[in-house]
Parts: sequence; C-alpha cells; structure tokens
Amino acid sequence: MKRKMMAAMMMASALCASMLAGCGSKEAETPVEAPAETEEPVGERDGSEDTAGTEAPSETETAPEEAVTLNIFAAASMTETLEKIQTLYAEAAPEVTLVFNFDSSGTLKTQIQEGADCDVFISAAQKQMNQLDITADPEVNEEGLDFVLEGSRVNLLENKVVLAVPEGNPAGIESFEDLGTDRLKLLALGNEDVPVGQYSTEILTSLGFLEGLETDGKITYASNVKEVTTQVSEASADAGIIYATDAFSAGLTAVDEAGTDLCRQVIYPAAVLNTSKAPETAQAFLDYLKTDECMEIFGEVGFSKAL
Amino acid sequence: MDWYPLFNSLRIALISSVIVFFTGICAAYYIARLHPVLKGFLDVVLTLPLVLPPTVVGYFLLVLLGPRRPFGAWFLETFDARLVMTWYSGVFAASVVAFPLMYRTARGAFESFDETLSDAGQTLGLGNAYIFWRIRMPACRQGIMAGAVLAFARALGEYGATSMIAGYTPGKTATISTTVYQLWRTDNDTLAFRWVLVNVAVSAVVLLAVNLLERRERSRSGHGRRPS
Repeated sequence: MKRKMMAAMMMASALCASMLAGCGSKEAETPVEAPAETEEPVGERDGSEDTAGTEAPSETETAPEEAVTLNIFAAASMTETLEKIQTLYAEAAPEVTLVFNFDSSGTLKTQIQEGADCDVFISAAQKQMNQLDITADPEVNEEGLDFVLEGSRVNLLENKVVLAVPEGNPAGIESFEDLGTDRLKLLALGNEDVPVGQYSTEILTSLGFLEGLETDGKITYASNVKEVTTQVSEASADAGIIYATDAFSAGLTAVDEAGTDLCRQVIYPAAVLNTSKAPETAQAFLDYLKTDECMEIFGEVGFSKAL
Repeated sequence: MDWYPLFNSLRIALISSVIVFFTGICAAYYIARLHPVLKGFLDVVLTLPLVLPPTVVGYFLLVLLGPRRPFGAWFLETFDARLVMTWYSGVFAASVVAFPLMYRTARGAFESFDETLSDAGQTLGLGNAYIFWRIRMPACRQGIMAGAVLAFARALGEYGATSMIAGYTPGKTATISTTVYQLWRTDNDTLAFRWVLVNVAVSAVVLLAVNLLERRERSRSGHGRRPS
C-alpha cells in the first residue's frame, strides 16, 4: 500500500515537473510579445493585427517591429524539427511568435477548411495541399476550395520511404528485393488508408511481390505508421516499410531506401494561406524554412530538401 | 467472400473458452477457500482484465510475449516459434480477457453451493474428486454454464488486445473484429457491413442455443433445483 502511494506521488510530481517545464519553455518564447504590449495602447491591438502584414516592413527602420503571431499548421512528423527551428527563429525574428498545430495532414486540411486561424500550412503529402489549392486539378480539389496564397506554394521537403528492420536484423533482410525470399516470415505495412501503406503497395507492386506475399499471409496491416514502427522495433515483424524520419526517431536501422523507380517521391509542400492576416511575415517564415540552417535541422532526422 | 476470419474467430473463441473453462473453475474453487486477505488480493488481480481497457491487456501481453522481451525471447529460442503475430496469439488475448467472466460466475455459483451436500458425501465415504464432479458441479451447473457462455461470447468479440498482439494478417491472424475494422478503415464499407451481419448472426445463434439448452434443462430436471 505504502509503495503504491509512493509510486502515485512520484508520478504526480513527475507530471507537475513536466507541466512546469512546459510553462517554462513557453515563457521563454513569450517575451517577444511583451515589449510590444507595453508600447501600444490595448484598444488598438485588434486593428493593428490586420495591418501588421502591410505596415510591418515600412516600420522596420523606425521603431521596434510590431508583434505578430503566426499560426503554423504542420504535419505531425515535423514536430521535433519545427520546435527546434522555433528557438532559432526567436533570435532571427524576435517580433514573431510562432504557434504550432501539429496533426495528421488530413485533419489539418479539414480544420483550415472549417475556418481555423492558419497562416502557413505544411502538409505531408501533395493531396491535402491540392485539396486547398484552387489551381490544382479539380478532380483532387473536389470542393473547389481556395485557401492557398497565389505564388507562395513550394515543395519544401522530401521524406524517404525505407525498409526498416529490428535491431540485429534477425531475419537478415538487406534490401527490398529480399522481401521476395523465404527469409521473410512477416512484413509490417500500413493499410491502404495510411499514406505510407500506399507507397508500400507501390513498391511491392513494382517488384512483383505483393500478390505472393498476400497469398502466403506474410503481410500484417497496421492502421498508422507508428504502429508499423512499433511492430518492427518489438521484432514482431521481420521488417516494415516506414518513412526515414520514423525510422530515425525510433532508432531503427533502415536497410534500404525506395528510389524513384519503386515509388513516387514523398514531398512535403508548404504554402502561405490567403486567409492569413500577416501574409508577408508568413512568407518570410516560409522562406526561412528553406535556408541551409533549417535544412540542416531537417536533415538530422532524415528529411532532405525537395528538388 | 473469404470465410477465413469466421473460422479463425470461432477457433480462437472455442479454444480460449475451453482453457478459461477449466482454469476459471479451478481458480474459483481454490480461491474460495483461501484466507480472506489473500482471497481479496487474488480476486482483484484475476478480475482486472475485465475492467482494464483491452489495449492495456494487449500492452501487458506484448511486454510478456514479444520476441524482444525475456519470456518471448526464451520461447523463440527454445521452440523457434513466435508468440505474437500468429493466430494463436489471438487465443492468449481472448483467454486473458474472457477469464474473469468465467472465474467470477463460477465463484458465485460455488459460493451459493450448499456445503452440507459435500459434507454428506464425505460421511458416505466419497472421494473429493467424486464429490466435486458428481455433486458440486451438477449443483452449480447453471452458473458455470452462464460463465462459459459469457466467456465464449467475450472471446468471440475480442478486438483490442488481439489487434495489438496478433495484428491483422489476412488469411492468418484476421478475425471478424479486426477484419471489420480494417475494411472500414480502407473504405470497403459493403464488405465490412457483410462481416458485421455475420458477426451479429453468429452471436445471435450462440445466445439462442444457450436459451434452448437452458429451457430443455429446466423441463427435463426441473424438480428440486433452486432458482439461482
């Protein structure tokens, strides 16, 4: 009983500590906003936000810049990297406060469509960006949504689809070609609903393995990429097809990387939205993401610059 | 329509019901006679799977049976067989989740058993095994049957822990419940709906069979049985 109490107390205190830490880091970011608040009358704040985008550049030479808050909607796989970049950007542009919303690209797309405050959208696939881009194929943008600011859309990053194996590689799988051998007993894939599952199907179809593996019952289907990653790291499956970034964050070995001959490129497009109240500040941040400094951070976890 | 998931679900549910039937009765019989403190403790532990979310049960099983975990690794090395991501992994999951239902109903039945009957048997010089099988079990038949049916139904419907330790491999580990989920996730609503109907039909048949058995039981030997 006593021991249980102790454990509960320890967990509670750990929770408090993490919450405090969370507050601490937030405080570190907020000072950028603090000076601005003292300088301007409270009543004018609402109006100034609307004009921030147009007026900010002219003011740069004269007074300290106006505080701007940018809402960044980004694919969940970018959480770690963008949080690192946030600290850097606080130095590069102290007047800008970045607020992130990380979720699956499909969810983010829906939130934007429903009118969420968003300045920059970074999607993990072209599909969701196309669904918001009026210039995209109407077959993809079925609802005729127009949210992407003209000329701001770029292909920001490329992720790789890799073949990951458990620690020590017990089945000795060295390449995508090895998936056709008897050494493979069980392969973990995302199902058709999961983007990485669609890429996996493409790869196995190009290699001509898909049907054979399915009839042999060698494929186990998971409902998201993290589930595939866990099945590989637990060695429940001999191998799994996931993104390079997931393999990196789970500390898994990627024995092979799918080239363009096996599947489409995995591109992360980014754009400023035309509903942004500060389109120029947003564009400046988007440009900043393309700098070598940021690309280095992205590169650390397995992203590469989209060409 | 590939009927494998139906076969696999029935196989898993049947095997785990048999396992749970005996282990549940054993546990109920022996724990009922333990010291109250120990009894209370074991009772909590053995009933936990009933109230824990199946994902938590799945997690525990994965930690125990995963090929990277001590027991799973030892088993893999000794018998060259994985304990997860196979069809029989589903049996582990279903057994653990269904066990409390059997155990608790059997214990309830044993507790309401009139011990003087057992004492009478002893005075007549009957062995313990004889008393258990020929006196105690028949007297507790209704409760035990109910427990077995509940356990079977629960095992048939098990999803959470199964999906975690058996995964979804069509033609190998797919059960009705995991098949419905995957079909729904992959926008295959028509087929998912068909499997839903199959599942409802199977469950209805099971319950109907139980009701019929019970009725026949009552009409055949209705005299002298206490209403439970």
